[in-house]
This record gives sequence, structure tokens and C-alpha cells, in this order.
Amino acid sequence: MDNLDDIRAKQTEWENGAIQEWLKQAPERESEFVTQYLQWPVRRLYTPLDLEEVGFTYSGDLGFPGDPPYARGTEPTMYRSNLWAMVQTTGFGTGEDANRRWRYMLDQGLTGFIIEYDLPTTHGLDSDHPLAAGEVSRTGVAIDTLADMERALDLPFEKIKHMTSVCNAPQPVNMAMIIAALDKKGVVPELVNLLMVNGILIEFICVGRYIFPPGPSLRIATDVFEYSVKHYPNWTPISIISAQLYAARATPVQELAFSFSIAMAYIDSLLNRGLDIDTVAPYFSFVISVDMDFFESIAKIRASRKIWAKLMRDRYGATDPRSLKIRIMGSPGTMSLTLQQPLNNIARLGTMMLACALAGDGQQMNIPLHDEAHALPSDEAVSIGSAIQHIVAYETGAADTVDPLGGSYYLEYLTKKIEDAVFEEIDKVDRIGGALKGIESGYFQKELAESAFRYQKSLELGKRKLVGVNILRRDEKETPIEIFKMDPEVEKRQIAGLQEVKRQRDNDRVREALAGVKEAAQGDANLVPPILDAVKAYATIGEICGVLREVFGEYRPGVITI
Amino acid sequence: MGEKTIRVLIAKLGLDGHTTGATVVARALRDAGMEVIYTGIKQTPEMVVQTAIQEDVDVIGISSLSGAHMKHFPRLLDLLRESGAEDKLVIAGGVIPEEDITELNKRGVAATFTMGTDTSQIIEFINRSVHKD
Repeated sequence: MDNLDDIRAKQTEWENGAIQEWLKQAPERESEFVTQYLQWPVRRLYTPLDLEEVGFTYSGDLGFPGDPPYARGTEPTMYRSNLWAMVQTTGFGTGEDANRRWRYMLDQGLTGFIIEYDLPTTHGLDSDHPLAAGEVSRTGVAIDTLADMERALDLPFEKIKHMTSVCNAPQPVNMAMIIAALDKKGVVPELVNLLMVNGILIEFICVGRYIFPPGPSLRIATDVFEYSVKHYPNWTPISIISAQLYAARATPVQELAFSFSIAMAYIDSLLNRGLDIDTVAPYFSFVISVDMDFFESIAKIRASRKIWAKLMRDRYGATDPRSLKIRIMGSPGTMSLTLQQPLNNIARLGTMMLACALAGDGQQMNIPLHDEAHALPSDEAVSIGSAIQHIVAYETGAADTVDPLGGSYYLEYLTKKIEDAVFEEIDKVDRIGGALKGIESGYFQKELAESAFRYQKSLELGKRKLVGVNILRRDEKETPIEIFKMDPEVEKRQIAGLQEVKRQRDNDRVREALAGVKEAAQGDANLVPPILDAVKAYATIGEICGVLREVFGEYRPGVITI
Repeated sequence: MGEKTIRVLIAKLGLDGHTTGATVVARALRDAGMEVIYTGIKQTPEMVVQTAIQEDVDVIGISSLSGAHMKHFPRLLDLLRESGAEDKLVIAGGVIPEEDITELNKRGVAATFTMGTDTSQIIEFINRSVHKD
């Protein structure tokens, strides 16, 4: 074994020795190097002494993959057995357009996809609502009725390993539509690995896709979760999209601390309904991105595994290993992808994808596309994205051993520091009164605004480099990539389709079903069954959410002062 | 005899709720000595014009990321003209394709600041364009 005192003595010698002469001819490029988001100082060299400083031990902090503390991985063999499922986000236009793109992606070798909806849909508004004008099908697919969902999900389900539905506020409606559409198609629900995001709480902090106030919103999310667990136990009825916090410029510490605090708010709500922690916890999953700082990102992922396990065991007394093993969908982040010189983003996605693989960033990984800053994804970008995933998986060796960077002095030091800082921040949120209080008081929002401003400053002062933006700028006339153009007739087609459905359906049946939804909303009954009735009668998302608006009201937050 | 402070309204039109760009710009403008009224998300053009007049702002800064800019900005500009408030400077930020920037320019948007813009550029533009006496 190394003698730390020996190393300490030798390191002191090294720092005072020839290096001093060396620095005269080769001064360091910065007076201080810092990590990307946390902006923590990065030392010249890390040694076993740094591990001693943070109290690192192999058994305590690493152990073996598949066993607590899970730092090295949640599965014993990780990608040696199963590569991560390779996924891409898309969803635009009408149900038919989305369907066509998903079929193309499956042909390109992807095994799953993420369904994003347009803003009217995520706000429980029909495509012909005044507030929907100009917004239909822009950020995702427009789903007004079951008819749209049936068209969208006309797919070869035997090829699909994962399907994610990114819905928050109107999740029960969305869930009901998926159930009904699969049923009509004769697809056995057990064969579909569906993940419903159902993550309304985070929307109050960033992205803002909420309808009703926080309290009723939490009730609705709990209804969906409870119903799903009972009837579709292989579906995942929650996903905490930590990546949304990241996109709002949360530091890795804020991202993990706020995400876990939010997760605990849902857990508390479910435990209040009498569910057991070991029933509930295994369903939780997190979308955690990496960014360009290779080490800060990998440390964040590894720390997340340790922190979740400790929270579930120590706060809730969870004993089932499935409660302790965090489920992550990983992703190269989008925040360092540039509008300028967009082909450079292919290189960025390559390094970030590698970081994901080395960190063990989940059993499923989503890759954003290099022309993301310009418009919705093009066919070419889709196949490049898939290629990047396959290159990292098959050509780099990153997937061929578990946690290959484990034991790196720098990485283990950073992982431990992040872990400690996250627990401190979680305690702080606790003292405020938990995640709901954090939302209502504006604490989270203010912290994020602060981080965002700090990061912007670091870019503008040139401390944080971004090629094409603050270094190696080029005068750009032509965009060297193809941009996908949205068909302006899409909104008209969608509205026409909606009106046709309303003409053809049994409107008495719809009225009855909506009354059933209202009754359930006014009481305690689970909202999913009456919503399922309404959906099958081809009630629209606007009509169903309209009823819920009548009962719960529409949320108008106070102005947050900056 | 002092210079009157430039007053800026920052808002988001439509259903998009990504606030990071808007809050960063609001904060930067405040740091540069301007008075900033940040009205948050899900504003309609009608709400923005009303607040702009009420608060007697010099500049209206709109963040648009959902792609609905060609519906929102023309409506906003029309309402400002109808209310006799067309002297207010309208600037845009967010995800807006090049050809739409040109079109919006023609319609009366003074400048569009897309991703990767330095906040100092926005501050400089406002200082240059707003005349206070």
C-alpha cells in the first residue's frame, strides 16, 4: 500500500522543484481553472492525498456495481450485457406526420422514441382554441382526441423497446388516450415499455407547462401514478426531468438537490395514500444530461446513484434494492450546442455521448441533434444522431468494462464533493419546508435565475469558452446544413381533423362522460377511469381539461422579482 | 439635470414557458442601470401593450422560443400602432429563423437577438436607440 505521508512529502518536493523553472517557460493558461457550472477550482494534479481529504475509501464510496453504494453502476455488468437503449426525441405535425418520422427512426436502428406534444396539447387546449393560434404542432405533435393518438401510434410495436410520453399537466388524458389507442390496435400493454413523464412539479420551476395550481396538480399526478401501478405495473408513471433544471442553468448540485426534493414531494403524496415505499420508489426515474465539462458531468452522474440510494434507505426505510437503484435516462445536453457553426455540434455530441457511456448514464439514452438550434430535426440529423450512439457503443471500448474511470483521483474527488454539496442543499430545502414550499416561495426560481446569470457572465467575459461563439468566430452567410421546414398548412389540417371528429361522435355520450369527470374531480375518486370514458367517447383534451379548470382553477403565479 | 432612466418591459408571449433567456436579459439590463418590469410567461399581446402603456416603458423585449413568433409579433405591433404607442422600441429574442427576422424587421421589430448574443450587445442597442430628454 502507498504511504500517504511519503506521497505528501514527494508532492511537496515536486511542487517546489523543477516545476518552478518549467512554469517560467510554460506558464499556465489561466490563473485559475474552474469547472463549467459549479465553477469550483480545478487543481493542477490529483493524487491519493485528495482522496484522503474527502474521506474516500473504496469500500465506502465505490464498492461493486449492482450493490450499494451503487457508485460504479446499478447493474453488475452494465453495458457488457445490455447496451443502453438508443432513443431520440421527436414528434411534430399531425399524428400522421409524427407516425411517419417514428417509422423512419425505427428503420434507422433506433429502438425507442420520445413523444413531445405541442404547447396547446400540454396546456390542455384544443388546436382551435384562440391561445393555440400559431402554436399548433410547433414544439411537438398535436393530440386533440383519441383519433390523433390512434393515427400516431399506428406502429410496429414489436420493434419498439421504449416509448416515452412527455406530458405533464394533462397526463391523465394522455394516459387514457394511449390506453385506448393501444387497446384498439390490439397491442398488449405488457409488451410496451411506456414511460409517462407525469412531472408537473418541475414545471412550476422551469418550462411552465402547468394548468392548475400546485396542490390539485399534485393530486392529479398522484391519481395517474396510483392507477398506473394498479393496472399497468410495467409502465413507469413518473419521470423527474432533471435535464429541465439543467437547461435553466442549474449547477449539478442544484440539479440533483432540487430533483430529489421534488421526487420526495411525490413520494410523500403517494405514501399519504397508503402506498408502500418499496412499491413506489422503484418507479421513479430521472432524466439527467451531461454537458461539455467531461469530469463535472461524469461526477454528477456517479454521485446521483449514491445520493438516491442513501435518501431512499435513510429517509424512507426502503429495503428493496429496486428502490435504492436510481433509474436514469441519460442524454448529451443541449445547452452547449451552438447556432454558430452547427456542424461542430456533431463533435460536441460525440464527446458528451462518450461521457454518458463512461458515467453509466442510464439504461436508456437520448441524443439531441446537431441542428437543434435551428429548427426541428432533419432526416440527416436523425441518422447522424443514431450513428454517434453506435460509434460510442461499439468503437470506443467505453461499454466494454464497468465504470472504467473509477479510481481516477480527480473524478473520485469531484464525485465526493458533489455528493456532500447535494446533501447540504437538500437539507436547506427541507428547512424551507420541502419542494412545494420551495416552489410557492420562489426559492428554486431565484436560485436558477442566479446560476443562469452567473453562467452568462462567464461566457461573456470569455472565462467559459464556446467555439464559434466567443472563440474561433466566423463570418457566416450560409448555413451548411439542411433545415427542416414546417408545413404551414399543418395547423389548418389539424383543426379540420378535430372538427370532423366532433361532427361524427356521439355528443350525448361525451356530455355524460364529462359530467363524470367533473364529479370525480370534485371528490376524491381517481380521475383516470372517468377520463378514460370521456376519451373513448372522443371528448377533446380541451373539453376534459376545461372541466378540470372549472373545478381546480387556473394557476397564476405571483410575479418573481429578479 | 439628469438623464431619465430607460424603462424596459420583458415578457413572453404565448404558451412557451422557458424563462432563462428572459430573466438573464432582465437582470443584465437592470445591472446596466435600466428599470426592468418582468411580467413573466403566458402573456397575450393585449396584456403586454396594456402593461407597456401603464408602465410608460421605452422598450418592449419579447422572448419567443416556441416558433409562434410570426403570429405574435405582428399582432403586438398592430396593437401598439392602434394604441398610439408605436414609438416604443420592440425587440425580440429567442429562436427565430433568419428569414423571419428579416420579415419581422420590415414589420417594425427594431432588432432580434438570437442564441449566443452577448447581453452587452442588447444594452448597447437599447442605449443607442432610445432617446431620452
